Amino acid sequence: MDRKSKRWLSAGTAVVLAATLMAGCGGNDKNGGAASPADKGPGGGAAADKPFAGKSISLVTANHPWADAIKPLLPEFEAATGMKVNVEGYFEDQLTQKLTVQFTAGSETPDVFMYRPLQEGKLFFKNGWLQPLDEYVNKDADYDFADLSKSAVGTATVDGKLAGIPIITEQEILYYRKDLLEAAGIAVPKTIDELVAAAQKLHDPGKGMYGFVARGQRSPLVTQVSSFLYSEGGDFMNGDRATINTPEAIKAFTTYGKLLKDYGPPGVLNMSWPQAFGIFGQGKVAFLTDANSLYKNATDAEKSQVADKVGFAPFPAGAAGSKPYNITSWGLAVNAKSRDKEAAWAFIQWATSKEIVLKTQEKGNPGARASVWDNPQGTTGFPAELVEVIKMSVKGGVDHDRPTVINVGEARDAVGEIVQKIITGEANIQPVADKANEALQGVIDLDKNK
Amino acid sequence: MTRRKRTARLILGLLTFLVLLAFAFPFVWMLLASFKTQSQIMSTDQLLSFKPTLANYTSVFGEHDFLGYMINSLIVGVGSTAFALLLGLPAAYAIARYHLHRLGLVILVARIIPGITFLIPWFILFSQVKLVDTYTALILSHMLVGLPFIIWIMISFFEALPKEIEEAGLIDGCNRHQVFLRVILPISGPGMITASLLSFIFSWNNFMFSIILSGEKTKPLPVAVFNFMSYAEINWGALMAAACIITLPVLIIALLAQRYVVNGLAAGAVKG
Repeated sequence: MDRKSKRWLSAGTAVVLAATLMAGCGGNDKNGGAASPADKGPGGGAAADKPFAGKSISLVTANHPWADAIKPLLPEFEAATGMKVNVEGYFEDQLTQKLTVQFTAGSETPDVFMYRPLQEGKLFFKNGWLQPLDEYVNKDADYDFADLSKSAVGTATVDGKLAGIPIITEQEILYYRKDLLEAAGIAVPKTIDELVAAAQKLHDPGKGMYGFVARGQRSPLVTQVSSFLYSEGGDFMNGDRATINTPEAIKAFTTYGKLLKDYGPPGVLNMSWPQAFGIFGQGKVAFLTDANSLYKNATDAEKSQVADKVGFAPFPAGAAGSKPYNITSWGLAVNAKSRDKEAAWAFIQWATSKEIVLKTQEKGNPGARASVWDNPQGTTGFPAELVEVIKMSVKGGVDHDRPTVINVGEARDAVGEIVQKIITGEANIQPVADKANEALQGVIDLDKNK
Repeated sequence: MTRRKRTARLILGLLTFLVLLAFAFPFVWMLLASFKTQSQIMSTDQLLSFKPTLANYTSVFGEHDFLGYMINSLIVGVGSTAFALLLGLPAAYAIARYHLHRLGLVILVARIIPGITFLIPWFILFSQVKLVDTYTALILSHMLVGLPFIIWIMISFFEALPKEIEEAGLIDGCNRHQVFLRVILPISGPGMITASLLSFIFSWNNFMFSIILSGEKTKPLPVAVFNFMSYAEINWGALMAAACIITLPVLIIALLAQRYVVNGLAAGAVKG
């Protein structure tokens, strides 16, 4: 017994000693411990026009064209304020993962970050990780908060509080092949019924030509079926009640599912936007409905063989008219634990000001400011035809494209289930929809207790 | 007779080729795609015949500084493996020679617990001592998997070595430490190579620890690969070029080391 514990002890001591030794060595290969910049108080002669001299904030972005557009403008901001902005960028799923771990750990960094209001907004906000920005936005009259689109601001609002500032907006539109429609003498569909008829007419699988394509993967399809749902007069939920088994909802899901089942390319169940745009870009499909923000995948000659033959149209109208989603896909938010919220807000105020939004929008990032869209210079980053479509889509849009709950993943699965069953040919869809509705209700009820 | 043998060999060769084709296809596709443009990748007509382009590779090294990420990965991979060897070899020897199997089990538990459970505590600890985005944090975290790996491979290796060799060393006047350093380690090459190879490959491919604990300065390859995926665009060509570049070193090391592992194993089978 005694000998045994001695062995334990000696082996344990050896390990601990070696570990300390190694930690010492590890510290030497990089002076990480002393890397923190002097971020306390202004350094030396801070002039009044440089209110944040000597301070620094950290900004985490997604891999997004907006980030590429804002980075070259940062030196100007840093020179004007004296603040240093440290930028890091990640792919969107990694970004969520990293932010979630950091916030769970109560991290003070990053100060400002890009986030997806509809995907993570509710989760982040209800956990108290986001600083509500209501009192900040009206501090400076020049900022003109009212200029931001109501629908976009609605997307970024949780429980009546402003969780973030919209930077990127998007709407669902109809992409079509001009040459095919012209050759067949078909007018651009204005209603969903016309779309179905046109897709049927152009569908010719024997020649490798398909009528319609859109996302068919369970979770990704939810956002794109939403415009069908709204245009038929439905929605995912009404107050606290799930409403995906109503007649309107079933009609919308059936239209979407049948379009893919009857006039879609093979393998559509495994398609998200990269595959859908891929096959559209191969010139094998006549119609595609998806977000306008993805248009370059169809019109860039590097990616698409039909780059010069793509037309844009507003989302076709259903029983309730044309009601595409019109949402904020990305926003900027402030970490509730940030040590310098004034500096963080100063950055957001600058990055979402009229002047800077104009500059980022010129590079093809659709912003939320009406004044920039009305400015001819603000639309130079987009094809003229698309600008018209966007201006029309913004008018009747709905401010969400998925159920607005905390556990978005499960809610999306419930909705996606119904559509997938239709694509695979399930004839009796009501029981499937009832079951999915129950699942969605479960997700909503969980939210109420928080 | 000979003809039957020949046909049998032919059939075997053909089957081997078919199996190989099925297994190697993803790699072949990856290699081909890295020389294609986006529109060529999406097209099924141009699977094998296409006009190759080097644009993806120039973009990977030019615009995205993959060399820097590669160096990061190399520092962390070599560092974590070296330190894991430093700690793991003596530990494995002690466990093997003094039959400390319970200790061995405790070490194994660290490997069994899903890595993600460590991440939040680690992030809190590392951010308090300001080690996030340093090589130290990455090396330490990668050792969590590398160390048990090395210990467990080396335990069975050391146990298989005949005691007589050590006794001979002791009789010739070595003490325990000298026996370990001068007798045991020199004949443990094959085991060490296998163990460090696996530990290095783990670190080279590790994504989860790296994404949370690295930053702009220390971003390793698996995290950097995602630079080619963004919100509205996936750059498949560059993504595949990057994947080829990541796979290549591991492939080369494995091929080179394989010879040593096999040779060494035969040599290590000691005459007694």
